[in-house]
Amino acid sequence: MTRKIAIVGAGPSGCYLAQSLLKLCKGDEPQIDMIDRLPVPYGLVRYGVAADHQGTKAVTRQFARLFERQGVGFVGNLSIGAEGDLTLDALREAYDVVVLAAGLSRDRKLGLEGEDLDGVIGAGTLTRCWNDHPDHADDTVTHGKRVVIVGQGNVAMDVLRILAKGAGEFEGSDLSDTHIDRIAAAGIEAIDIVGRSPAHLAKFDPVMVKEIGKIAGLKFEIADLGLSEGQDDPRLEAVTGLESSDDPRCTVTFRFGWTPTRFVGEGHVTAAHFARADGTETLDIPCDAVISAVGFRADDTLERDALVAAASDIDTGRLAPGLYAAGWFRRGPRGTIPENRTDSQAVAEAIAADLADMPEVDKPGSAALFARFDHLTDYAGWQRIDAHEQASAGEGRVRRKLADRAEMLKLALKAMETTP
Amino acid sequence: MNITLLFGTETGNSEMLCEDIESEFEGDHDFTISSLADVDPAAMETNTFHVVVCSSYGDGELPASAQPFADKVEKTKPDLTGLRFAIFGLGDSDYETFGEGSHQLADLLVAAGATQIGPRIVHDVQSGDLAEDVAYPWFTERVAEAEAAMEDA
Repeated sequence: MTRKIAIVGAGPSGCYLAQSLLKLCKGDEPQIDMIDRLPVPYGLVRYGVAADHQGTKAVTRQFARLFERQGVGFVGNLSIGAEGDLTLDALREAYDVVVLAAGLSRDRKLGLEGEDLDGVIGAGTLTRCWNDHPDHADDTVTHGKRVVIVGQGNVAMDVLRILAKGAGEFEGSDLSDTHIDRIAAAGIEAIDIVGRSPAHLAKFDPVMVKEIGKIAGLKFEIADLGLSEGQDDPRLEAVTGLESSDDPRCTVTFRFGWTPTRFVGEGHVTAAHFARADGTETLDIPCDAVISAVGFRADDTLERDALVAAASDIDTGRLAPGLYAAGWFRRGPRGTIPENRTDSQAVAEAIAADLADMPEVDKPGSAALFARFDHLTDYAGWQRIDAHEQASAGEGRVRRKLADRAEMLKLALKAMETTP
Repeated sequence: MNITLLFGTETGNSEMLCEDIESEFEGDHDFTISSLADVDPAAMETNTFHVVVCSSYGDGELPASAQPFADKVEKTKPDLTGLRFAIFGLGDSDYETFGEGSHQLADLLVAAGATQIGPRIVHDVQSGDLAEDVAYPWFTERVAEAEAAMEDA
């Protein structure tokens, strides 16, 4: 009997999991369905990876094969959870195995005074806005001339790069003109990127900083190098190797060893305050916007904390019999796409091993979902959206994303309605 | 001909290309596919043509699955004389270190005594070409050269 497996979240971890499961179960493949709350697949690759990193986004070619050649189903526009279309328990009724790979989509809060001021925004939210996520079309900030970025991981570097690039430097990306014009209109003159660690212990990959060094018209200032005295590290080399333009339009200042303490302003942020970890020194940076890139957490729709706390073996992704977790949803907000690929492979091994001992029950799988709801979309629906987006790409862009859910659904549901 | 396809990968694109090459040419040759991470360099057989597909990662570093293989070659210094290989790179020309991973790996194998068959080419993810469309004709040419070289030997 064919096993039915549902993976909640069609992002990279879920897709790698499906890929790995099919390899491990060769000859006795389960029917796998990838469920997403959006009518489009690929999660973080589409909405988290920066618009000007199309090389990274190209991994979707692998994932497309799941649906196009390997028989995996896509069930779009279906939210799972107590507040969603279908409860997790109801989904588990329909499938032998349910894997939660919904990621961690919310920005971690700093828990500081002034964090709710206008002009303060999380990097994940801003990145999804720039990536035309239908739930975040208007979640941006008026950047103003002085921007502070809190955090120095690769997400912070993505934000810095997109803010610092000139309007003409997005060739080959899918960043829309709306966003480019909005950033250009701000005429940003100063970006301070501030991290807790000294440069030689910073979270970014050196290649991300080198990429920023290739942007035209920037002046770089590197403060707090004293904290890294005597150190020899590629991260230190990367920041000290940044070369300033002779005719800069914007100054980018790297600051190290500062912990944010509060954001101040009347309604709108006007300054970000920092201090040394030992309290010996403080730093106040006047600014018009603050972007915090300090990690991610779960939204509450799947009650992740409770599930993880009750997990039978979280290291292998086992939450409960027939229920698993993968990717960031399992391991927390750590690790790149490749690291989560390895992680998904390990969870797939646990599932494949457990399948052998699972009672044989004839579960309905996606038939039960499509019978119950008439708003679900499928892979063909995504292909219509995809084709439309590519065909309407502007000059020098690879696609023009639909940012409006209703427009997405119009395309995704179109042929399904006429199918007898 | 016996052909071993070896992949050095981070995100799985090199592995997928190996699988594509196998499906495309599977009637013509006996294929084995393996991750470089699982290969013992000293046990690579000279009567098998080794075709490597390798990406780059980070700042021109070897991808994760190629790293343990390279470490073994450097540590155990196996004599790979008589081993014939071809190598195909996957890269992103947005980065200065484009194709560095496959370059490093080729140098490593040659330094250990192996013979490289034909040129190493690197598919550029920015080019708009599909990797397999570039790799198939390259593979056909390398196999012909390897067959000729192995007959002569």
